[in-house]
Amino acid sequence: MEKRTDAYDRALSLRELFSGVMPDKLSAALTVLLGAPTRVVSADGAWVMGNIPPLSGNIRQVPLSHDLEIVGHLETSTNDEARVRAIEEILGSLMRSGARYFMASEMHIKVVQTDYEELQRKHAELSISEARYKALAENLEQRVKEQVQTIESAHLQLYQAEKMASVGQLASGVAHEINNPIGFIRSNLSTAQFYVQKFRSVAEQVASSGNSTLLAAWQTADLDFVLKDFPSLLQESVEGADRVARIVSDLKKFSTVDQSEDEIVDLNDNIRSACNVAASQINSHAELKLTLGELPPLLCKAGHLNQAFLNLLLNAVQAMEERGEIRIQSGVENNQIVIRISDTGRGISPEVLPRIFDPFYTTRDVGSGTGLGLTVCRDIFTAHGGNIEVESKLNVGTTFTIHLPLKREKP
Amino acid sequence: MAELDETGRKLTLKLVYYGPALSGKTTNLMRLHDLLFPDLKGEIMALETQNDRTLFFDLLPLGFRTHADFLIKLKIYTVPGQVVHDSTRKAVLSRADGVVFVADSQLSQGVNNAESFQNLEENVRRVGLDFDTLPIVVQFNKRDLPNILSEEEIRRRWSAAPWTLVMASALTGAGVRETFVKLLEAAYPIMDKNFSLGDAHAMDMQSFINAVTGESIGKTD
Repeated sequence: MEKRTDAYDRALSLRELFSGVMPDKLSAALTVLLGAPTRVVSADGAWVMGNIPPLSGNIRQVPLSHDLEIVGHLETSTNDEARVRAIEEILGSLMRSGARYFMASEMHIKVVQTDYEELQRKHAELSISEARYKALAENLEQRVKEQVQTIESAHLQLYQAEKMASVGQLASGVAHEINNPIGFIRSNLSTAQFYVQKFRSVAEQVASSGNSTLLAAWQTADLDFVLKDFPSLLQESVEGADRVARIVSDLKKFSTVDQSEDEIVDLNDNIRSACNVAASQINSHAELKLTLGELPPLLCKAGHLNQAFLNLLLNAVQAMEERGEIRIQSGVENNQIVIRISDTGRGISPEVLPRIFDPFYTTRDVGSGTGLGLTVCRDIFTAHGGNIEVESKLNVGTTFTIHLPLKREKP
Repeated sequence: MAELDETGRKLTLKLVYYGPALSGKTTNLMRLHDLLFPDLKGEIMALETQNDRTLFFDLLPLGFRTHADFLIKLKIYTVPGQVVHDSTRKAVLSRADGVVFVADSQLSQGVNNAESFQNLEENVRRVGLDFDTLPIVVQFNKRDLPNILSEEEIRRRWSAAPWTLVMASALTGAGVRETFVKLLEAAYPIMDKNFSLGDAHAMDMQSFINAVTGESIGKTD
């Protein structure tokens, strides 16, 4: 049980208690002071101070106590009681002093050890926390960069959307203004055609009337030709007016970008409308082939989808190096609306392909594109719960495939 | 925990005086040295700095022999009260059989008392003792000074606590012996249970206390 005691607290042997003195010199001094052979022996007899051999003659044993227990004996042949008491006192003081040193040093070691372990533990904790902060600091710059980029791109997309919205507003205003006059022009042209019919009925009567003056004037004015040419002129004008009306209607439909309300549409109509808006540019570069399958009605932001289709179409047009073909297919596959827009243009190189949806990435000359077109497209389809994929082969062509869910999950 | 040395026929108990700095722990020990008269009484060993502040601990060894010549030793320690010596306090507190918490009654010392008592609770747990069963006596020292908490107030504040309260003035010696006896009373049942003091050593609580304090049988105060 004794060894369980803390070191500072344990029972000390006589040898330990006298560890601070020089045994030979102390033994010699004791002999001188007592005037007789003297030695100090531990209680069990195992340790003798100064290794003095056993004394002979009439030897008395004086017990030496420390910490309430007898730890050894003073052996001497003197009978001088007063001197023996004095020596006992001196030895007691030496032992207390020795014990004091022993306990203090043991306690010191224990305290230092405890404090050191505590320091090491704290050090380990600090190292971990330092590493954590270091890692944070290293990532911080990168993360700030990413955040700034996210904010910048959001900002520019917002700007783009605003721009599209104001263009849309302008277009819808213009369309509205043109709609009225084109309406009465069209109506008047129909009336004019009816009037020309009436003139025609008069022409036969003039020819058969035999009135030479009238016939001469008729022939001089070449009214036969006029009557023949007039209907076709009017017919061409009617067709022209109809075309204007159709363009206006498409423009109106297309310019609903600013309407953020959802509406139910047939996407095929939106694709046609985008094609009409881009018609002049498409026609000068490519043949357009539409293969539009039947699509279920879709609840969507039609104006935004129009914008995306137009972006993709214009990209296809710009990809043409010589006159080529642009194909648009639509249909339903695996419960999804799938739209493919393919061109036979120059294609996109494998290095560029992974980056084409990145904000501000552009291969065009500085100033001719913001590099946001495809980013905006992707965001629009993503906002509808869908996605856009791209496949491309250099000098063969590019196909964008759009998937849109039939029913959009509420965000 | 108490040390039982069967071959050396010896039982050693460890009692610790704990408390904030300058609350009078060492003074308690010096008065005990003067007030107690057991068969065996050692000198106080003080490990202090030059300005009398306890550095490691003070130690007063007391002891007596039973009828069967069995040595029962009590080692009474004080801890250093200064906050910086926490590791030392922990080392001294380890394996204690009982604790006297010496609080300073002065009005200005409330916070120090509370922090020290909390420190006692933490260290008791750290050295693996059970705070709920460890015998503890709380002494409010320095009753001789002005500007102290009234006894009424102290008893009201500590009314919910399970520990015995003793008012004392270590400087004059009042309450010092009573505090110590209260601790012996709290510690005896545990000693008796672990080492059958009553059965094996024919030592009931009264005779145990009498032997430690040096009183004749039947008279405790």
